[in-house]
Amino acid sequence: MVRFPFRIFFICILIASYAGLASTAVAQQDSTAHQLRVVEIFGKPAEVYAVGSHVTQLDSTYLSTYSSSTLADALQARTPLYFKSYGASGISSVAFRGTNASQTAVLWNGLNIAPATLGQTDFSTLPVTGFGEVAVQYGAAATNYGSGAIGGAILLSSPDYDDHKGLEADIKLEAGSFGRYFGNGSVRYSGKKLSYGLSAYSLWVENDYKFKDLSRFGKPEVRQEHASVEQRGLTQDIGWAITPKTKLALHGWYTFSDRHLQPAMGSVYANEKQRDESRRLMATLQHESWLGKTDIKLAYFNDFLHYTDRNNDSESDVDAYQLQAEQTYAYGRHWSLRGGLNLQHYQAKNDGYAGEQDESRASVFALFRYDPLEHLQLSLNLRQAFAENYNPPLTPSFGFTYKPLQNDLLAIKGSLSGSYRLPTLNDRFWLGAGNPELRPEQGKNTELGLLHKTVLNQTELTLEATAYLMQVDNWIQWAPNERGTWRPTNLQKVENKGVELSASAKRKLGQLSLQANAGYTYTSSEQQKVYEGSGNDVGKQLMYVPLHKGVFSAEARYQAWSLLGNLNYTGLRYTSNSETNSLDSFLLLNLALTRKIKLQQNTLLLTLRTDNVTDEVYQTMLNRAMPPRGYTFSLRFIIP
Amino acid sequence: MKNLNNFRSLFLAASLAFSAFTFTSCNDDNDGPSGAYAEDGVFVVNEGNFQQSNGSISFYNNNTNQIQQGIFSKENEGRILGDVVQDLTISSDRAFIVVNNSNKVEVVNANTFQSLGTVEGVALPRYFTVLNNDKGYVTEWVSFSSPGRVAVVDLNDYTVTKTIEIGAQPEDLLLVGGKLYVTNNGDNTVSVINTATDAVEATITVPDAPTDLVLDRNNNVWVLSAGKVVYTPDWSAIDYDQTTAGALSLINPSTNTVQASYTFDSNQSQPGNLAINGSGDKLYFTYNGKTFVQDISASSLTNAVFLDRSFYGLDVDPETGYIYGGDAGGFSGNGTVYVYRPDGTQVKTFTAGIAPNGFVFN
Repeated sequence: MVRFPFRIFFICILIASYAGLASTAVAQQDSTAHQLRVVEIFGKPAEVYAVGSHVTQLDSTYLSTYSSSTLADALQARTPLYFKSYGASGISSVAFRGTNASQTAVLWNGLNIAPATLGQTDFSTLPVTGFGEVAVQYGAAATNYGSGAIGGAILLSSPDYDDHKGLEADIKLEAGSFGRYFGNGSVRYSGKKLSYGLSAYSLWVENDYKFKDLSRFGKPEVRQEHASVEQRGLTQDIGWAITPKTKLALHGWYTFSDRHLQPAMGSVYANEKQRDESRRLMATLQHESWLGKTDIKLAYFNDFLHYTDRNNDSESDVDAYQLQAEQTYAYGRHWSLRGGLNLQHYQAKNDGYAGEQDESRASVFALFRYDPLEHLQLSLNLRQAFAENYNPPLTPSFGFTYKPLQNDLLAIKGSLSGSYRLPTLNDRFWLGAGNPELRPEQGKNTELGLLHKTVLNQTELTLEATAYLMQVDNWIQWAPNERGTWRPTNLQKVENKGVELSASAKRKLGQLSLQANAGYTYTSSEQQKVYEGSGNDVGKQLMYVPLHKGVFSAEARYQAWSLLGNLNYTGLRYTSNSETNSLDSFLLLNLALTRKIKLQQNTLLLTLRTDNVTDEVYQTMLNRAMPPRGYTFSLRFIIP
Repeated sequence: MKNLNNFRSLFLAASLAFSAFTFTSCNDDNDGPSGAYAEDGVFVVNEGNFQQSNGSISFYNNNTNQIQQGIFSKENEGRILGDVVQDLTISSDRAFIVVNNSNKVEVVNANTFQSLGTVEGVALPRYFTVLNNDKGYVTEWVSFSSPGRVAVVDLNDYTVTKTIEIGAQPEDLLLVGGKLYVTNNGDNTVSVINTATDAVEATITVPDAPTDLVLDRNNNVWVLSAGKVVYTPDWSAIDYDQTTAGALSLINPSTNTVQASYTFDSNQSQPGNLAINGSGDKLYFTYNGKTFVQDISASSLTNAVFLDRSFYGLDVDPETGYIYGGDAGGFSGNGTVYVYRPDGTQVKTFTAGIAPNGFVFN
């Protein structure tokens, strides 16, 4: 029965239920002129040492049309990832290939940005503006990215200003339904030696939409009053080519979010508010010599979180220092080797800890890419992590791509990868709950895929199919022990298996150009073993993992007009691990019409958007009402 | 809407009063009330997850051995019951469901579970008790920093007619001969309210943090105090130097004095879930990961272990003497109910909703 201590404890649970791990890092890199050699030969940076894995990018048209949305909205609309959003204003946590929010790594320019306290990223606080590229890497990628990359990884990279285009600027203003206002401005300069980019945004959303309150007699239509959000942030990137072979870059990223946390229907609103503020700074040095390419990254991240309600006031403030050094050596067209070291140090102040706590972690990795034949590519990676208190296992991965027809028509891909996740600082230091006996989570991922590219009747077609099997053992979860104390334990073993299908087509018909993408995923995520408690739910689908999700997008361009449509079908999701109660499937349609107007050298873009065109009533988290149909109009002016 | 609601409630209350009358008059013919939930069975109160509004009521039918989950939603066109379902009280043909973090008490027909009305505007309500067909009482925490109160509810139109300020975080209430005993969990007192005047007429000091109250066969009131949990000044840990141990105390209602008080041996665990059997001579409670049984005639804590496990909720069927324990598991899925004979052997087990915290026997 809920009593006062339980309630205090709730904060801990709220926080811990997003519990996970932060961490390590990486091998992914900015694509800069100086690494072109490796890239030209071995492909995109994310794929050089992850042969056989499935990597997709959010396309730039979508990102620029929906630049005011959060990363959660963008990935929900365009990828098979499922986001559990606590209403229009609440946190958004991801389920990727059936894993939980802390089992997906989020990397910024190759370094993990999840705060080490919670070990997971709230995607509703991350914007999509200010990046060069947003990519999604499917499946275990821990040998490349370190702890937490069990279900997959989200790769954010700073824009790359190496095109020597001189000075450019861009401003966007947007207004929409439910009290939505957004502004974004950016300037960039790209010279021979120096490049500079600055992008800033601000967003206010009242979210005062109407919804049917299912908790009240007669289910009256009421107005949402507690879901307002204010966000702002900026990115700044400076690049300096000291010599043709040496490049220094500085990246800064600030995000601020202040919001009311939308209550569930039927729950009292106790003035729940949350303020998140993150400062991220990174310096990178790249140097090429006869020994190959040297890459050094030094980063400082600070994440501040302040939660308040009528009865609680809780703060968390964590500093992370990271250093990553890598050396890449490429020999001809056949092989490339990268060795590296990643060091992390965390200092955390949290109301749930006894004073300030700190922790250091390290990992070393060796990544090997070998192309023995023109149509056969292999990669073999190893990573060993070291952490105070824990003994993470040596993690290997192996991948291959084979093109049996000796051309690009068909590729067979596959990989076998290990993964791991270290317990979070909350798992370790939460007073009265932190569990020193915890073991790191361990994952195994096997996948096999086919990629087919062809041109049929002037239509470019790409088809891809991947099947995977993943096991995550020692899955850490907070649950009450026999005395009712909530604490993290290595609760269960989970088996995820699924199929991912995607197709894209491109065609030009005179002045009309058409492009369409479709994706479908089947995800089964079952508890296989339970190490503590009753184990009633063995063999059942984990909560909030949809068995089916499909996305479809189409874009048509004709002269100065373009129309972009996005369809998202999300199947039934259980709301507990017992498969008894569920949320209904939903279908969301978003449309955006853009008119391009040339004003001398400059460009004006007028966009009218409508989200949730069919006015679907849906929830992604139990009893949190989501917005109905809304409209947004935006003006974007690009110089030149 | 509110007026309509009240009108509807009045209308339903009127028809209910009529049907209650019919029921009473038919009782002699052994012709019980009809409805899916009128049969021999047990209602399970499933608290749900805090802030998710997924609390529910289950009904286990003893004749068919079938469990029905989420019966409020089922009988009321999919309406959500609410957030933290704390208590269910049945009085003649009405059931009162206290929904703590929804600030309301839902009133339904106990036999059909169809909605009759809602008591709104109660602040963090906890437990409900019915005096007669016209009047009920509900404890309200109000907030964590203010004194709590008892709201007097008019059972004809489901409105609060009066509030009585008492101690901090009032929990359980028990009617004994026209007097209402209320535990003030945030303090070390039991308030006694005269139901004729609805005023506090006595405040009895008991060991810290009283939670549960039961009446024994000798008409004495047993109070279980959990003990006060004191945190360090920065709220980061429990300060065991100042935390007090729980206690089981006996109040004589004719004098309103504490006649006996037995303190638990440790302050590291808080006792809870006090229940009494139908014959009023055996007390059950949970403490330190175990379930204990205590004879009311014992003159100390006998430490008789009934079961080597604890429960999230515990009650005793007054007719059969069977002990029902609710196991919430990890709160991430359905809870499980275990049923034991008074000798401790398990009779059966069934699945309930999320976090089963209490039982009401039909």
